[in-house]
Amino acid sequence: METQTIKIGLPRAMLYYRYRVLWRTFFQELGMETVVSAATDRDILERGTALAIDEACLSLKIYLGHVAALVGQCDYILAPRVSNFGRHRSMCTRFESTPDLVGNVFRGSGQKFLSYEVDEEMKKKDEEEGFVEMGKALGCTAKASKKAYKQAKKAELGQHKERVQKYEQQYKKEGMKVLIAAHSYVAEDPYMGRAVSDYLKRVGVIPVRADMVDREAALKRGKELSPTCKWEINREILGGIAMHQNDVDGIILLSAFPCGPDAMVNELITRRVKGVPMLNLVLDSQSGTAGVETRLESFIDIIRFKEGKL
Amino acid sequence: MAEAKMRNVSFPRYAEYNCAFKYIVEQALGCKYVMPPVLTKRTMELGTKYSPDFVCTPFKTMLGSMIEALEAGADTLLMTHGLCRLGYYGELLEQILRDLGYQFDFINLSEYDMGKKKEYLRIVKRFNPKANPARFLARFMEGLRMTEYVDEITCEYYKNCGFDATDGQYKQAYQDFLTAMYTAQARADVEAGYRAAKRAMQSVPLDKPQRPLRVGIVGEFYTAMDAFSNLELEQKLADMRVEVHRWMNVTNQFLRYGSGQKNLRVKIQDLCRYDMGPTSTANIWYARECAERGYDGLVHIKSATCTPEIDVMPVLQNISADYKIPVLYLTYDAQTSDVGLMTRLEAFYDMIEMRKKVL
Repeated sequence: METQTIKIGLPRAMLYYRYRVLWRTFFQELGMETVVSAATDRDILERGTALAIDEACLSLKIYLGHVAALVGQCDYILAPRVSNFGRHRSMCTRFESTPDLVGNVFRGSGQKFLSYEVDEEMKKKDEEEGFVEMGKALGCTAKASKKAYKQAKKAELGQHKERVQKYEQQYKKEGMKVLIAAHSYVAEDPYMGRAVSDYLKRVGVIPVRADMVDREAALKRGKELSPTCKWEINREILGGIAMHQNDVDGIILLSAFPCGPDAMVNELITRRVKGVPMLNLVLDSQSGTAGVETRLESFIDIIRFKEGKL
Repeated sequence: MAEAKMRNVSFPRYAEYNCAFKYIVEQALGCKYVMPPVLTKRTMELGTKYSPDFVCTPFKTMLGSMIEALEAGADTLLMTHGLCRLGYYGELLEQILRDLGYQFDFINLSEYDMGKKKEYLRIVKRFNPKANPARFLARFMEGLRMTEYVDEITCEYYKNCGFDATDGQYKQAYQDFLTAMYTAQARADVEAGYRAAKRAMQSVPLDKPQRPLRVGIVGEFYTAMDAFSNLELEQKLADMRVEVHRWMNVTNQFLRYGSGQKNLRVKIQDLCRYDMGPTSTANIWYARECAERGYDGLVHIKSATCTPEIDVMPVLQNISADYKIPVLYLTYDAQTSDVGLMTRLEAFYDMIEMRKKVL
């Protein structure tokens, strides 16, 4: 038994899209195995919807479906509490409630959950401390955990930088470019935003991403656009818009129904960012993509019309 | 240039706390207070019209109330900071009001680092450059004292008003108390009003059974406390001869537990390890407390799309299962009708009453 490696389950939803490299590298460095749930499909969405409170956001429903898919498949499922990285650098409260939410939803399943906490504003606890505590809870030394975190953070930042560079190349290409302003877990999920970027590519439009920018620079620029915006990811997106609004032909504000932060920040964006066509697209669980495609088609027609190309 | 003009300050309607805002603005800050008109359907229509669709309902209520305050003559609006979406209310409210063309000065506490004491002085000086910090503090504390009295008397009122044996003297005593608070100009007025209310309420004969039906209220910080927003849920329940208990109020949440709710968490460690949102710990603790005290039911109140309270619901479902206590989950939006609520409340009442007879 003792030689058996610990298996950690990573639900392919929510913060997975931001932290997959950080998480995978950390656990691998500590000699553990990670298992990721399969890409979102109808079954995952339906299971998640059945487990969630009706009024919860689509992203949470999908997340719970992914957790359900991992139950019984691993020793622990990772469900972190990421509250904030300091003042005006919060996450949606849903990321604060995640460990206790899954703990209560999956009570009685026998599944063990693993958590780490990031709460710099209230508890002065940063990400590194959270990871070291988690490593110790898994039986590793503080030293090994710290080393694994450093490696993992380096890998995460490296990967992000690479992706940013890739997107920077996209801006240099010829052709119509549309900036997708969305949380990564919305933009990249096959049941949410992927349909949008796939469609854009299919009709010859180059999709770019507002959150694929240097994070520190984006936080600063985001503050110029909305000085009291308190959500880290929305501030990055705001910054991305400020940095690239003149390099694109249109902006799609893409959110999952009824995302709390987006409901407010996207309203502010439509009021403050002028001179570029903008589409406010809210996704809910639908069985087909025809509705979304119709809206995208008309949005692209509007851009072409405005540019005199229609 | 003559004397700097005295500000006409307003803050949106919020439960019965506007008497304390008034007291603090006038007595502590030395400004004039503009009381926003009572909340009505018009307030909601104004707020809903100009708000984003799926923002939480208190945003819409506050926007409507701010427009009505500006119409009533306010020139300075105050908005608070907060741990949930409330912390972003200020900036978006201001933007919407400015886009509509209103002119006013906006003091948004989210712009200040409320963790630092120095910031408070900056805020006070912004309201009134000539404000005396020591005097401000003394008067401010009196305003907080008024808040505590409002909470204590309100709590007492909903516990007993359903059992008034007279033709409405209990309600009259509560109304008289509120009038005293809304008109208080000095500490003596506050104390006298409070003492008069205590005496008046104690003197009203009550016709309460040995074991009345008891219902605990938990939920979101604005909607659970604001009678207009929850369609007078507490009064409706009380009128069915139910003892209504609510822990959540400004006194308990901020004045007693402002620096964290570690001691409440002790009792709910098996249910949740962390704060799940700004009011989760208190709500979960109180729900379990009511269950353990053998209350007959719980009502969970929230506005549509309130993320933290949606996340508390799975925990309440577990408490409900563990203690076999019924929970009525209510979501309020700008359109919620009185009739629909009444139907649900009557059904809930019938159910808890039948259970009490059987059990």
